[in-house]
Amino acid sequence: MAPDEKKAPYTVQIGPVHPALKEPVMFTFEMDGEQVKTVDFAPGQTHRGIEWMGMRRNPVQIVHLTDRICGICGVVHTLSFSLAVEQIAEIQVPERADYIRSILHEFERIQSHLLWAGVAAHELGFDSLLHLTWRVREQAMDVIENLTGNRVNYGIVQVGGVRRDIAPEQHPIIETCLSTYEGLLEKLLNLFLEDRTIAMRCRDCGILTRKDAIELCTVGPTARASGVNVDLRQDYPYAAYGDLDVRAILPEQYIGETHGDVYDRIVVRLLEVGQSCQIIRQCLSEIPAGPITAEEKLAKLLAICKKAQGEAIGRVEAPRGECLHYVRMDGKDSPTAWKVKASSYSNLMSWIPMLKGEQIADIPIIVASIDPCLSCTDRVAVVQDGIRTILTKEHLHRLSVEKTRRLQR
Amino acid sequence: MTPAGIAVLLGWGIFLSLFALAGGLFLLGIDRKLAAHMQARIGPPIRQPFIDIVKLLQKENVVPENAISGIFNLAPVIALASSILILFYLPVGSILPILGMYGDLVLVMYLLTVPALAMVAGGFASGSPYATVGAQREMVTMIAYEFPLAIVVIGVAWRIGAAGLSSPFALATIAATPIWTVVGPLGLIGAFILLLVLAVVTPAELSRIPFDTQEAETELAGGLLVEYSGRNLAMFYLAQGVKTLILAAVIVAIFFPWNLSGFLAMPPWLALPADLLFFLAKAIVVLFFAVTLVRVGMARFRITQVVSIYWRSLSVIGLFGLILLMADAALPALVGVGS
Amino acid sequence: MRLLPLFPELVRQLFREPATNRFPAKYLPPTVTGFLRDVAAGRAQLTPPVPTPPEFRGKISYARDSCIGCGLCTKICPSHAIELLPTKKIRIWVGQCIFCSQCTSICPKSSLSMSAEFLLADEDRYSENLIVE
Repeated sequence: MAPDEKKAPYTVQIGPVHPALKEPVMFTFEMDGEQVKTVDFAPGQTHRGIEWMGMRRNPVQIVHLTDRICGICGVVHTLSFSLAVEQIAEIQVPERADYIRSILHEFERIQSHLLWAGVAAHELGFDSLLHLTWRVREQAMDVIENLTGNRVNYGIVQVGGVRRDIAPEQHPIIETCLSTYEGLLEKLLNLFLEDRTIAMRCRDCGILTRKDAIELCTVGPTARASGVNVDLRQDYPYAAYGDLDVRAILPEQYIGETHGDVYDRIVVRLLEVGQSCQIIRQCLSEIPAGPITAEEKLAKLLAICKKAQGEAIGRVEAPRGECLHYVRMDGKDSPTAWKVKASSYSNLMSWIPMLKGEQIADIPIIVASIDPCLSCTDRVAVVQDGIRTILTKEHLHRLSVEKTRRLQR
Repeated sequence: MTPAGIAVLLGWGIFLSLFALAGGLFLLGIDRKLAAHMQARIGPPIRQPFIDIVKLLQKENVVPENAISGIFNLAPVIALASSILILFYLPVGSILPILGMYGDLVLVMYLLTVPALAMVAGGFASGSPYATVGAQREMVTMIAYEFPLAIVVIGVAWRIGAAGLSSPFALATIAATPIWTVVGPLGLIGAFILLLVLAVVTPAELSRIPFDTQEAETELAGGLLVEYSGRNLAMFYLAQGVKTLILAAVIVAIFFPWNLSGFLAMPPWLALPADLLFFLAKAIVVLFFAVTLVRVGMARFRITQVVSIYWRSLSVIGLFGLILLMADAALPALVGVGS
Repeated sequence: MRLLPLFPELVRQLFREPATNRFPAKYLPPTVTGFLRDVAAGRAQLTPPVPTPPEFRGKISYARDSCIGCGLCTKICPSHAIELLPTKKIRIWVGQCIFCSQCTSICPKSSLSMSAEFLLADEDRYSENLIVE
């Protein structure tokens, strides 16, 4: 036995409720002094059974339910679900609706990234930066409020289009907001990236190598910060992104090299705020005239959805990465299957290589650095006779073999 | 000592204790208000720490099952009592240290570690992993900042001693002869560097950002204090306030010992409150630069970074200041030899 | 200040008006209900909240007379907050409403609309204020 293995490491539990975690997840750390030896985590503390509720409602109702899967990703989930249903029911979305969807989608990305930046600053004990970023975030929230009617739970996307048009008199409001952000971006980059204390804490902390990022199937800014060139908006365009000029943001565009650490994740997210501003501006200049929904009469829309049969997947690049909705409809009022795979689900496993060997002090910022959204993620909890079991890969494989045998008989 | 002398001493002691408790909470309130305004918030009212204490005293005092209840309950009492005790050795306004004849700056330096040690004992006695990690970090932080602190104390006292004054470590002497008045231009720079070093030590003494690793809300959920509640937490909170006042008093006593009554002629009954108010004003200014501005403008350091900052950067800077002060004292002699 | 770029901003902010909206009062009153009573009695001043945006979706309002009792709104309400009464009129449980405004879009007679009222906190989810009929 090696000499340092003789020391019995002690266990620190963080969560499910802890100031470092904005949403419940339970970590178990085996520590050696201040250093993390092994990491284990257990999500599933905030499962709300939304899919169960969805399978008892019709698509028009579910859209508003998807709005409430996550407080930040209102457009993401509604859009993703609507894309799936539109494919099944073969609804052609008008072009203007696609542009409005994209504009709101990008505003959501701006406010989500700024929110994350504030949280990251708070995790570092830098509360002034939290207050500053959240104060400037209010402008994006105000524009969203102006366009949709509410700050959160926008209720703007509906199957077949959007529910509200962007009037010409709203263009100046958007324009003012965009120019403010473009002016602010340099300041924010300066405050976050030039600050010595932030650099000391984030540089080379929580490294996720490019290889790990690909093997663990990470998505969104987490993957991009490790140098993986993935962005659904460029790889698999939806809504109006096919017409727009979107390129994945990689950290080497700003600093010329990729470390895959927390600092790079800040870089990617802040640069994406600027990118979103450009996209919105392009959308506003190219937005065509026309109807904003394929079917204005909701009763008719319900009838179309009721007739629809088939299955489809809606994919959207959420602020945190790819979000996926699987829907299957069998000519009934409500879908027979609805499955949500939020972006954080793909990113959670990257915690383990990131946290290994780091200090206790870095746990909060590393955990926050993938922008985990557990209310999005916790979709399935397996409960059988009151006992919660964890299904391992081998177990799942055995179950599927058994099922295939049953079907063959 | 005569019974009358003891009675006077007791009277001053009680007065100073009450002043320490109220003044400490007031300084905490000012700190919160200023920090809030810098973050574009309104912040709590200045009386908020008083409200907090009243509330905490009404709350249940929970002792965890696996805590060592004796040490756990004793720690806050020791922390509060020792922090008040330190004030008796420090000049406050025009009140000379009431126990000044029994102790000097070196004693103050040692006493400053007692509240921290009480917190460490309380943390280890809590029986919680967070508190244990916090207690370990507190000890490491203490070891880290002791050396720069010692450099400052020795530097100032040595320079005053070199100026030919007797008992240079006594705070009465230091308060009566501000360091700035005895040194030449080189010494001014040296003393200023030592002031900066002391200002950087202050946040660590008070466990404030960026050196608040032992409490680190987002990491350890309050660290040392995680298991404390009710009356015990109220006492720690009061001790925090008194410590804030003491650190301000130390900086004021060493570097800004002037009194209002020294400049303006005023009747004796007015001199005491005027000097106390002037002392509080100086304390607020000192704390604004040493604590409030620093804690809102920086991110928290890791414990390893805390140690390397104090041991490497700050010690080198402090020693440089010390050398400047020594050169300043030696220069006239050298010049005298040369001529 | 190149290494700590936030410092100038912080000092500037010290001399500026805070950004916080002072709703309902500058500091938290000892009792909020007591404060609201005082406001009602004219003894205290309520700082107004941030104004609502155009077409804000607040508490639902219902024009009972023009309603024809078709029940389309009950089919489309995501939270089952609308109940069709035997009298061919509806009752809306605002405590359950999620303010999506879907019912106002489907109503053929435009009997339903969203008001700008949003201060709906109550101790009882079945209080009179939270039932529209």
